[in-house]
Amino acid sequence: MKKLFSSILFMILCVSLFAGGQKETDAAANSMAASSQPKEIQFWFSFSDDKRSGWIKDLAADWNASHTEYKIVAEQKGSYRETLQAAVLASRQSVAPHLVHVFEVGSQLAFDSGIFEPIGNIGSFDTSDYIQPVLNYYTLNGTVNSIPFNSSSPILYINEDMMIQAGLDPKNPPETFEEIIAACEKAKAAGVTEAGLGFNLHGWFYEQWLAEQGAPIVNNGNGRDGRATETMLDSKESKIIFNFIKELNDKGFYKYTGKLEDWGGSDAIFQEGKVMFHITSTADLGNISTAIDDRFQMGTGRLPIPGSSKRNGVVIGGASVWLTKGHPMDEMEAARDFILFLTNTENMMDWHKMTGYYPVRNSSIEKLEQEGWFTEAPTRTIAFTQLLETESNMATAGGLMGTFGDTRTIVEEAIQKVLNGADVDASIEQAKTLADLKLSEYNKNF
Amino acid sequence: MNIQSQFKSRFLHWIFLVPTVLVLVVFLYFPAWQSLILSLFRSNLFLGTRQFIGFENFKNLFTGPLAPAYGQVFVQTIVFSVLVIFPGLVISLILATLTNSLGKEGKIYRILLIWPYALSPAVAGTIFSFMFNPETGAVNTFLGLFTSWQPRWLDSPLLVFFLVVSGSIWKNLGYNIVFYLAFLQNIPAENYEAAALDGAGTFRQFLKITIPLVSPVSYFLVFTNMSYALFEAFALVDILTSGGPVGSPPVDHAGLTTFLIYKVFQDGFGGSSNMGFAAAQSVILMVLVALLTMFQFKFGETKVHYGGSSS
Amino acid sequence: MTRKKKTLIHMILIISAFFIAFPLIFALLKATQSPGQVMSATLWPGSMFFENIKNVWVNYNFYQYMFTSLKISFVIMVGKTFFSFFAAFALVFMNFKGKKVLFGMILVTLMMPTEMLIIGMFDLVSLQPPENAVHFLKWILNPKAFLLEPIRYGFGWTDKPLSIVIPFLASATAVFFFRQHFRNIPGSLMDASLIDGAGPFRFILHVLFPLSRNTIGALFVVQFIYAWNQYLWPRVIIRNESAQAVQVGLKALIGNSEGVEWGQVMAGTIMTMIPPLIILILLHDHFMRGIALTDNK
Repeated sequence: MKKLFSSILFMILCVSLFAGGQKETDAAANSMAASSQPKEIQFWFSFSDDKRSGWIKDLAADWNASHTEYKIVAEQKGSYRETLQAAVLASRQSVAPHLVHVFEVGSQLAFDSGIFEPIGNIGSFDTSDYIQPVLNYYTLNGTVNSIPFNSSSPILYINEDMMIQAGLDPKNPPETFEEIIAACEKAKAAGVTEAGLGFNLHGWFYEQWLAEQGAPIVNNGNGRDGRATETMLDSKESKIIFNFIKELNDKGFYKYTGKLEDWGGSDAIFQEGKVMFHITSTADLGNISTAIDDRFQMGTGRLPIPGSSKRNGVVIGGASVWLTKGHPMDEMEAARDFILFLTNTENMMDWHKMTGYYPVRNSSIEKLEQEGWFTEAPTRTIAFTQLLETESNMATAGGLMGTFGDTRTIVEEAIQKVLNGADVDASIEQAKTLADLKLSEYNKNF
Repeated sequence: MNIQSQFKSRFLHWIFLVPTVLVLVVFLYFPAWQSLILSLFRSNLFLGTRQFIGFENFKNLFTGPLAPAYGQVFVQTIVFSVLVIFPGLVISLILATLTNSLGKEGKIYRILLIWPYALSPAVAGTIFSFMFNPETGAVNTFLGLFTSWQPRWLDSPLLVFFLVVSGSIWKNLGYNIVFYLAFLQNIPAENYEAAALDGAGTFRQFLKITIPLVSPVSYFLVFTNMSYALFEAFALVDILTSGGPVGSPPVDHAGLTTFLIYKVFQDGFGGSSNMGFAAAQSVILMVLVALLTMFQFKFGETKVHYGGSSS
Repeated sequence: MTRKKKTLIHMILIISAFFIAFPLIFALLKATQSPGQVMSATLWPGSMFFENIKNVWVNYNFYQYMFTSLKISFVIMVGKTFFSFFAAFALVFMNFKGKKVLFGMILVTLMMPTEMLIIGMFDLVSLQPPENAVHFLKWILNPKAFLLEPIRYGFGWTDKPLSIVIPFLASATAVFFFRQHFRNIPGSLMDASLIDGAGPFRFILHVLFPLSRNTIGALFVVQFIYAWNQYLWPRVIIRNESAQAVQVGLKALIGNSEGVEWGQVMAGTIMTMIPPLIILILLHDHFMRGIALTDNK
């Protein structure tokens, strides 16, 4: 008897707990509909620094000031990986943000998750002003999936004072792996104690170096002709990259904090004057020059590549803004309008000037040229040169695979192994086996 | 205590017990069962897919290309636990005994020694990651003033292990010392006086009297520290090392500070996610913890008597 | 004890206390420095302390993290202690059928830390609730769907503070803590109450509660610090900064990318430590007495 009583009580409590949760969402929905408050349009992005997140929030405020019916709520959500994950999970609970900032390697996963609506399906709007190769990256099956927002590529940052001290010409920075090592050796011989190259141990650089050599990272036309089924981590181009980092490290010229993907840590090494060369995104041009202030003279150069290869160019990527499914049409349109506003000619110019990201619009570049922006400081042109020189092919289009995140981690760990003394070929072999396994596991979901 | 006389009521005890039992059933029993079920599925968090695959997740843990990583993680978790528990308890006991031996004079040290109980693993990780950054951290900058020795705190396998272990010991000191002090206060001084009359030195007194007397509380602390090492160290690792670095063979299959719970997190919520694979690891963790707890109950009883404390 | 020996012990303790406190002193000093000073080796206090605090507090939403964590820690501290008190009361002072079974059920959960269950908990807490009671009953009354398939419905609590409160309102540890303490209470007190004709509530109010102050104090400290230190579960289930717990917020300060302001981060760590320190200091005496009583089994 008592058992029965208790189980009934338990059930009642369970039901009331569930029902309670239900009521709350209903109430929220009702109040949303009933109120005359502006409808909220959520935008989740992943810049954690004051500068960039502040810029987005300011623009949201600008937009809100001129719109009474809708209100953009821009919120920072952690790393790219975490932002995408948060959006997918929110969508499962029907509380997805309208706009999500997704990085290029998350494209396939975002696409497969099925929570996004190609933005090209929301009314008709003009995309002809967006830089074509960049827009192509985000166009699948002829429909624009997402609006490109922040695109960048890695460049070489130089501590010019050290180069001069070493008897090197800072106006003529090293262009190849071999020249980097030669420059470091010369500097060391000249008594520059901090001779070396720093970059954070990140798969992004590896991917860029593959693209520069024209090598895809996965099969099936870099995943663009069909779903990728195998990685190409064991290509000879891949081995060249591994061997370069190994040589750099063996000679004591490689510097990083020891942590994977530690962007801030590597920037700090350069800013504190602890390394002669540094590789990171053009997007950090603004932040880094502010941080260096006048402690030393900073210069920039193109991303050094293997001497054995011609320059194919960089992966045209960066991140774009995606629109999630399942909102009322008017909200979707408002969300689209905001993102078009965010990336309009003036805003992209401003964005570029502040950060170093490419403006993704042709008109922005033209206006910047007219203003004489590029002739004022040559450091600013490097990124564009790299972009304009890029040949359009499957390697520079960037790979597509659902497990890109895993593959990145696997590559980073393989490089770290090599830094800790493991054999290059064996590490690459292991990495490929693992990455292929993850990929085939992932593909079994379909 | 007297068991005969007790309150009787038709339903009051249910009202008293229901909140606790309900929460435990809904948020512990049910999720545990769900982990077991989910371990038989391939389930991608992003895609929302669920495919029944039998024991494939378990198979992948023990054979095939994914197995060496799991094996490495398993072993290093055990090594980490042992390194955190034993030196940590010894240091705590010594400091607690010294403080206690000063009597009232030692009161000031109490607060100076137990405050780390308010430390969280995340705070410990944050402070350490600032101090021990090999290129720009204060420790290496400081060392640079005297020597050219610049330890690679975050990617040299031994150092990083040392760092995570020290961080954990530091974080746990307060907790351990609190328990030892509370316990030692209640040990009557006669125990020591008799030994002192017998001519036993401080060290012998410590060995012969203190250690056996505190064995019940040590025993309890071994298990709470183990729970820290297995689960709570997550925050420290997440902030300080993110599970890295990968070493060279034979420890090149996984990050050296990737412990069991961190791997559950990585495989379930990170990368391309297979929640089933992570669930299979949770199930193994459950079995491990269940075994440890059974061990605790079995030997705990005898230990307590051996301790000779008032029962 | 000889004078020499005493001095030696003082020395050892002073040095140890210094070493133990050093990282915190370091953090405190660095929290006062400007971005320019903070990367250098100097430990000289700077003048930026309040500015750093203000920056973290306002620009990085630290006040929100702190407020959320204070709220949830307080609820867990009080709620868990309260529920466990009554559960232990029923187990010790009341006689009823099925007591052994319930006791066993609670006992088993001693070996189930939440962290171990995040995968199962995640679905349960994050999935959408059923649309109505009919769907719910259809699901729960169908053993195949309810027991043998991965979870279909959940509470829908992602991003809500409920998700980091409700699952922690019960704990076997706390029940045992009280049970241990109650069993040490002389039976004669209970007999006296029964003879007086006092009901359970009067007994609790006039006898048990006054006798349990130290135990409750000790549990308050333990539970507050436990709740305050929560990391893994909020990291997984909360993705909204306005509902995030402070320990995870600390990670957000370090961020994922460029330009970490270490002076501000250190200010954040100092602030994160203040509430548990206050609780520990305020309840220090109760705490020490409470745990001494209970572990002396």
